[in-house]
Amino acid sequence: MPPAVVPPARALPLKESALFKEVLHYYEDRQLKKGLKTADTILKKFPNHGETLCMKGLILTHMGRREEGLELVKQGVRLDLTSHICWHVFGLIQKGQKNYEEALKSYTQALRFDKENMNILRDAAHLQTQLRHYDALVETRHTLLRLRPQLRQNWIALAVAYHLNGNLVEAKNVLEQFERIVKNVPDYDIEMSEILLYHLRVLEELGEYSEALALLDANAKSRRIIDRTAIMEFRARFLSKLGNADAQQAWQGLIEQNPDCYDYYKGYLANRGVDLDAITDETRGIALQTLRDFSQQFKRAAAPQRIALSVATGDEFKSLIEPYLRARLEKGVPSLFTDLKALYRDASKRDAIESAAHALLDSFVHAPDAPCPSHLDPTTYIWTLYFLAQHHSHLGRHKRALELLDTALAHTPTLPELYMFRGRVLKRCGDPYGAARWVDQARLLDLQDRFLNARCGKYRLRAGLIEEAVDVFGLFTKKDAPSPAQDLEDMQSLLYLTEEADAQLRNGNFAMALKKYAAIQKVFDDFEDDQFDFHGYSVRKFTVNIYLNLLKWEDTLRSHPAYVHAAIEASRILVKVHDDPSLATKSASQSHLSEAEKKAKKKAKKAEKKVQEEAKKASGSSTNEDKGLDASPSKDDDPDGTKLLQAPEPLERAAKLLKPLSTLAKGNVEAWIAICDVAVRRKKYLQALQALNHAHSLDADHPELHIRIVDFKRRWSSLSEKPSETVTSVVSSSFSKLLPDEVSLEHFNSQYLQRHPSRGDAILAAAKVSRILGAPREEVESAVFGALNATVELTFETALAIDSFLSEIQSPREDEFRTACKQRFELSTLFEPRDKLPELRKSAIQKSIVDTNEEKDEIIS
Amino acid sequence: MVTIRVARAEDLQGMQACNLQNLPENYTMRYYMFYLLSCPQLSYVAEDEGRIVGYILARMEEDVAEGDEPHGHVVSISVLRSYRRLGLAKKLMVLSQEAMASVYRASYVMLHVRKTNRAALGLYKDTLKFSVHDVEKGYYADGEDAYVMRRSLKDLTS
Repeated sequence: MPPAVVPPARALPLKESALFKEVLHYYEDRQLKKGLKTADTILKKFPNHGETLCMKGLILTHMGRREEGLELVKQGVRLDLTSHICWHVFGLIQKGQKNYEEALKSYTQALRFDKENMNILRDAAHLQTQLRHYDALVETRHTLLRLRPQLRQNWIALAVAYHLNGNLVEAKNVLEQFERIVKNVPDYDIEMSEILLYHLRVLEELGEYSEALALLDANAKSRRIIDRTAIMEFRARFLSKLGNADAQQAWQGLIEQNPDCYDYYKGYLANRGVDLDAITDETRGIALQTLRDFSQQFKRAAAPQRIALSVATGDEFKSLIEPYLRARLEKGVPSLFTDLKALYRDASKRDAIESAAHALLDSFVHAPDAPCPSHLDPTTYIWTLYFLAQHHSHLGRHKRALELLDTALAHTPTLPELYMFRGRVLKRCGDPYGAARWVDQARLLDLQDRFLNARCGKYRLRAGLIEEAVDVFGLFTKKDAPSPAQDLEDMQSLLYLTEEADAQLRNGNFAMALKKYAAIQKVFDDFEDDQFDFHGYSVRKFTVNIYLNLLKWEDTLRSHPAYVHAAIEASRILVKVHDDPSLATKSASQSHLSEAEKKAKKKAKKAEKKVQEEAKKASGSSTNEDKGLDASPSKDDDPDGTKLLQAPEPLERAAKLLKPLSTLAKGNVEAWIAICDVAVRRKKYLQALQALNHAHSLDADHPELHIRIVDFKRRWSSLSEKPSETVTSVVSSSFSKLLPDEVSLEHFNSQYLQRHPSRGDAILAAAKVSRILGAPREEVESAVFGALNATVELTFETALAIDSFLSEIQSPREDEFRTACKQRFELSTLFEPRDKLPELRKSAIQKSIVDTNEEKDEIIS
Repeated sequence: MVTIRVARAEDLQGMQACNLQNLPENYTMRYYMFYLLSCPQLSYVAEDEGRIVGYILARMEEDVAEGDEPHGHVVSISVLRSYRRLGLAKKLMVLSQEAMASVYRASYVMLHVRKTNRAALGLYKDTLKFSVHDVEKGYYADGEDAYVMRRSLKDLTS
């Protein structure tokens, strides 16, 4: 109810009051020109009428004149602070800008002055859900229900609000009440069906299986619930939980309906007392018999046969694996290795697979010049070679894998999979250029296949060939997009953005890398914003179960590896910039746009100009076109990322990026290291120490952790003024568990090295610490050269890191190290002398397969 | 191990990634959400150890013209190249169609396919019993024509 007394500034004489009502109607019908004109008429006489100013601002926003519109709305609000219309309009604008926190504040204000306005209440409910203010949501939904109990949605929405707020019992009560009073439900009403399925879910979460089963059976019979799969799934679970004899039949029915669903077999077997994740000698027999029967019954289904492989052991496994392999190799199933890979955790199964596959291969062996014996299928031969190549490469036997692949390629040079995998093996050996070249050849075999194209692009990015990668991607992106990169970004390709960001980082272009990591961050922000419309939509459609599922996903959105990786890498760049601000300016002078990027920039500028000109024209002729309230996409005013790199407060920005990781990536050591690095520089010592402790509990020997422990001690010791007593005491007691007080840093470091003498990464970490502690360069150098000893486990990635380190300390022995690595990593091209780089990059791109084969001979000879 | 089941919200990112790797017709997450949340029973995924390797994104057509019957629409279907020859596309399609028939009583299902996409045409015509209903000129962003294909679901509607 609006307040009893209308403040004088708001009241309008009869004529203008009628005009104002017209403005509201015009706005509702989106007759924007008329609405604007009418509003101006009012304002001529009453220039300070807050509500009219707000409406005018709203209309202008819809017409695309957003800045003007916002100004007017703000003005209007200031002139009439107790008008629900003003606050509502302000809220609408803020909501359109995705500024949900502020919008909710405006809506809350609006509700103060019009407590029972349905529109405002509904919008407020959506905002409360978006912001996860579930207490407030329950209240709002109560009000809405009280005001309009005849509306089904209001009942369901209240139940959902209770559910979200953690009160399942109340949710259930609301649903029961609703079902008691609802009338006139038509036959085959999908909405009612969904409501009942939601009710069942609530009961299941409450563990009230008997009641759930009763509700289910009653409504399934009366055909009120029409989703057969959902009925069957619920039913099977309830019957199992109740130990009901009908459960087996229920699971059987599900398997009959979809014999490719792993969960159904899991449920069936669990019901018979067999836990597929924890097979015992007792349960093994039942499991295998059951799976045998199902395999017979459902010959087209892969699941029963594959599950049997996980369950079986020893001779039984051997008897199953041979026909399984054979059937799929004869069919030519590319994913066979990926399918069986999980079994390799069991060494005996891995060996059995190897034997079976090799036995099969041996049956194909014939003299290289002789034709393939007629009774053998050449296809099977090729796929067996392919499978074994994958097998051996997985076990680190890359040379063997390459031999097998080359045999296959000589036999069948037209199978893209062979080229792709050969590329992959080279990647694993540290030859990204060769890898890119081979994957490109795969791509050339089928230019219509986007999958091959995407792989090629990815491998080019891995080889640092950014422009060439974008060219390849561009063969499948939209022709009218400003650039292939822009299209992939618009389509939210996290794969592309991640790979390009990483490539830019490897190339030392921090600005562009940061820009792409920021683009990834924005994709996730968009994913988060996208849920907003569904707060209303799903309630209206009653598809509550999937809606709740959506909210749950949104709650852990940033646990996705792409976000975690982007946040960690971006924070590392920002920390680097904080430590050395000259990096930001250096990057600016170094950054040069590639030809393609310059062209794209020009094109974008042209397009932007066109848009501006058309907008000017449009505002001149003031069309009725409704541009809506959503914020228009911002133009890219930082094409080479320098602005972003130079932006102030890098540490604060880094902290913000990393924040979700402390809950959503708790098991990720690198995340905690990143959090520590930022915290320690922001002088938040407790937070830093907490991060170190988390990292320590996950992997006490992690090399990066070792470095950070030393770093922390040095920073802490060098503080002229310790922070408060409480902080100091906590730090002192807690830190001593990581590094005992009486142990010197030098000693701590040598202890670490002594514990891990054959780990290349540990040797590097210890050397870095020595350097930090002031050891002379020669000493540090010989320390890392120790990583080359035959007894040390050294990956090429670590070798590269050592090489970087030697470069950082300006070691004259860097070339010596690279040469030694070149010998050790025979197939790698990452330790070639630097002047060979242009040639290597060129070799990664081929024009045709014919060229390739010729050049291949040259390289080998 | 590949499992086939109804799509859930947490699969959407995987479906989007799968789509971007395989097809030139792509969508922003908003669309995936919209299709999944409007007809949650109709979209299925093939998942291998947490990775989405195949999917079908489908819905019931909202605007049903005069004289037309309720029908399903396959918005997008795709399987990663590395997971072909397992019959996944067929399995996904059949499950979706059965849901269209039983939940929504759809009379038929329709989809668009590029005129020159012989592989897909073969799958739809021969394996899945679709037939060409119409041609939509210039349907695709690059100007290529689409065959509008239909398959009756009368044999599935209970």
